[in-house]
Amino acid sequence: MTKRPRYFNLEPIMNPKSIAVIGASDNPDKIGHVILANNVASGFRGAIYPININASGTIMGYTAYKSILDVKEKVDLAVVAVPAEVVPKVVEECGRAGVRGIIVVSGGFSEVGRKDLQDKVTRSGMKYNIPIIGPNCLGVTDSYSKIDTLFLPAAKIDKPVVGGVSFASQSGAVGSSVLDMIDNEGFGLARFISYGNAAVVDEVDILNYLADDEKTKVIVFYIEGVQRGKEFIEAAKRAALKKPIVVSKGGMTDEGAKAAHSHTAALAGSHQAYEAVFKQFGFIMADDIQELLNLSKIFETQPLPKGRRIAILTNGGGTGVLATDALYEHGLQIAEMSKKTVESLRKVMPPIVNVRLPLDMAGDAEKTRFEAALAAFEADPKIDAIIAIALFQTPGADENVAAKLVEYGTKMRKPMVVVSPGGSYTKRQRQIIEKGGVPVYESPGEAAKALAALASYAEYRDSHVKKSR
Amino acid sequence: MALVEYFEAERLLKKYKIRSVESRYVKSAEEAEKFSAGGRIVLKAVSGKALHKSKSGLVVAGISGGEIGKAYSALERRAAKYRPYRILAQKMVHGGIEIIIGGSEDVQFGKMILLGLGGIYVEAFKDFALRVCPINMEEALSMIRQLRSRKIIAPDRASEKMVAELILKAARMYQGGRMKELDLNPIIIHDGTYDAVDIRMIK
Repeated sequence: MTKRPRYFNLEPIMNPKSIAVIGASDNPDKIGHVILANNVASGFRGAIYPININASGTIMGYTAYKSILDVKEKVDLAVVAVPAEVVPKVVEECGRAGVRGIIVVSGGFSEVGRKDLQDKVTRSGMKYNIPIIGPNCLGVTDSYSKIDTLFLPAAKIDKPVVGGVSFASQSGAVGSSVLDMIDNEGFGLARFISYGNAAVVDEVDILNYLADDEKTKVIVFYIEGVQRGKEFIEAAKRAALKKPIVVSKGGMTDEGAKAAHSHTAALAGSHQAYEAVFKQFGFIMADDIQELLNLSKIFETQPLPKGRRIAILTNGGGTGVLATDALYEHGLQIAEMSKKTVESLRKVMPPIVNVRLPLDMAGDAEKTRFEAALAAFEADPKIDAIIAIALFQTPGADENVAAKLVEYGTKMRKPMVVVSPGGSYTKRQRQIIEKGGVPVYESPGEAAKALAALASYAEYRDSHVKKSR
Repeated sequence: MALVEYFEAERLLKKYKIRSVESRYVKSAEEAEKFSAGGRIVLKAVSGKALHKSKSGLVVAGISGGEIGKAYSALERRAAKYRPYRILAQKMVHGGIEIIIGGSEDVQFGKMILLGLGGIYVEAFKDFALRVCPINMEEALSMIRQLRSRKIIAPDRASEKMVAELILKAARMYQGGRMKELDLNPIIIHDGTYDAVDIRMIK
C-alpha cells in the first residue's frame, strides 16, 4: 500500500464540475434515486452521470451507464450508494476511471465488523491517491457548488441559508439534526461534511481543507475520535490561528479505566487528553448540540472583542442583575462607563433611570432609549462588548427596538448579543433579530457563555499570532 | 512496566535541576536515627510490588528521636509481604502545599504533562490541568491559572513563576527521559522553595 499524503485535497468533492451517482435509480425508494434527485433539485450545474449495473437508456432523464468505466468524459466526483459487498469493486473502478473524489454513503463496513471491506476501500484510495469520504456517512452538501449527497427527504429538513459556518460531523445523525436546526438559529452554512467511518478522508484532512477555505468563517466539528493525533495537532494549530473552531466531542465516558500505574495516568484519561488538546490549541468547546449552535452563531456574525469589559443594557432590572452574575460566572466583567458616556446618557434617559451598569432603562423604554444607549456604548473605548436585554413583554419594546438592535449589532466594530426570553411574540422578534445577523439567546447565561468564548478565542489568537510573527 | 529505582530517578531530577528532599536508604533503625540528626523524618518501604506506598501502609511520617526505632520495626512488619523491599529515609518537609506534576502517554496525542493539587487531594478533588508536550512558559502559566486551587498553589507572582518553571523542567525531563509515566507526587511548596518528596518513574 502506498503511503497516504499528509492531507487530501477535498476540492474535487466539494466543488466538482461533474458527478456520477453509482447506484442511481428511477425507483424513488432507492438512496441512489434520492441523491440524484436532490442534486437536480439543489441546482447543481455540472454534468450528471447516473450509473447502475442494470441501466439501459436513461435514469431520471439522464443518459445512464452500466459502469463508471463506460463514461467517456472526466468525472470529478463519484457518489457510491450500492451494497457494501460491491463497494470495493466500484471504488477500484472509479480509481481506474480517473475519478478525482469519491463519497461512499453505503453502510455495512467496520461499524458492523466488516473491516475487511473497509480496508479494501482504504487501499484503493491510497493506491489511486483519491480522497474518499465515508463509508457509512451522509456525504456532503455545499452552499456554493450546490453539490448535495444527503439522502434525506427535502420536505423533512429545513434547508440552511448560505453563510459562513462549515460543519463536519463523524456522525450522520448528529450531522443531520444540526443541519436541520441551523436555519432556525439564524445563521448560514458554507459546507457540510458527514464523514462516517473515515476510511480515507479523516478529520485532519477536513480541518486542513476548511482552514484554507475562503468561504468558511467558522469551523464546527462533531468528533468522536481522532485517528492521527500528531497530525491533528499540527492541523489544529494552523487552523485555529486562521478561524475559530467550535468542537463537540462525543464519547465523554472514558474507556481509560485501564490499569494505571501512576496518579497521572489515572487522571489523564483519553477524554481528558482530548479536552487538553482542544484547549491548548485554541478550540472552542461545546458541551452539547445546543451549545454548538449557540457558539456557531456568535462566531459567524460578531467581531472579536478587545477585552472582557461588558456593558449590559436592559428594559428590565432583574434580568440585568442575572446577566451581571452570569458575566462573572464566565470570567467576564461589567465595564465602567467613561464620563462622556455617562453624561450623554443622563441627557437622554428620564430621571427614573439610574445611569450605571447594568443600565436599566425601565419598562417603558422604547427604540429611542435603546438607540441612545447603543450609540453611547459603541463610542465608549472602555466597553469591549454589549449584552442587550430586550424584554418584548414590555409596552415600549416592539419591532422598532428589534430593528435598532439589528442595526447596531451589525454595524459596530465590537460584538453584541441580545437576550430575549419569552413566548410567541418574543419568538417573532427574536427571528427578526437573528435573520438580521445578531445572535439572540434565551438566557443571560447562554449569552455570557458565548461572549466569554469569543473573548477567550480573541485572547488565544492575540497571544499566538504575535508570537509567530 | 518497571519502576525506576529511587536514586536513579533522583539523579535524573538533578540533571534537570529539579529539587528533591534529602533521602537515603537505611538498613537499620539506628541508621535511620543517625540520618535524622535530631530532626523529623519520613520512612518509606520501597518495593516494585507496591506501587501505592501510602495506600499499602508503607509510609510513616513525622517521626523523630526515640519514635524511630518502634516505627522502623512496625514498617518492616507491614512491608514483609512486599519483599524484596528497601527502606528509604527522608528528611521531613514541614508545612507547605502539596502539588502533583506528572506525565503520561496518550495513545493519540503522545506525551502529556499534568499539574494538580497534590497529595491526598489528587483523587478527591481531581483539580488538574493537562497539556500536550512540549509546552512553553505561557502554557505552563495557563496550567496554573486553570486550576480551581490556583490561589492555594501560587498565591503570588513569585510562587507562580517558580511553579511554572518547575512544570517546564518536569515537562522537559519527561519528554527527554525514556519513561512512560511520571509522578512527582507530592512536591511540597514551602518557604519560598519546593521539594519533590516522592518520585515515581515508570519505564
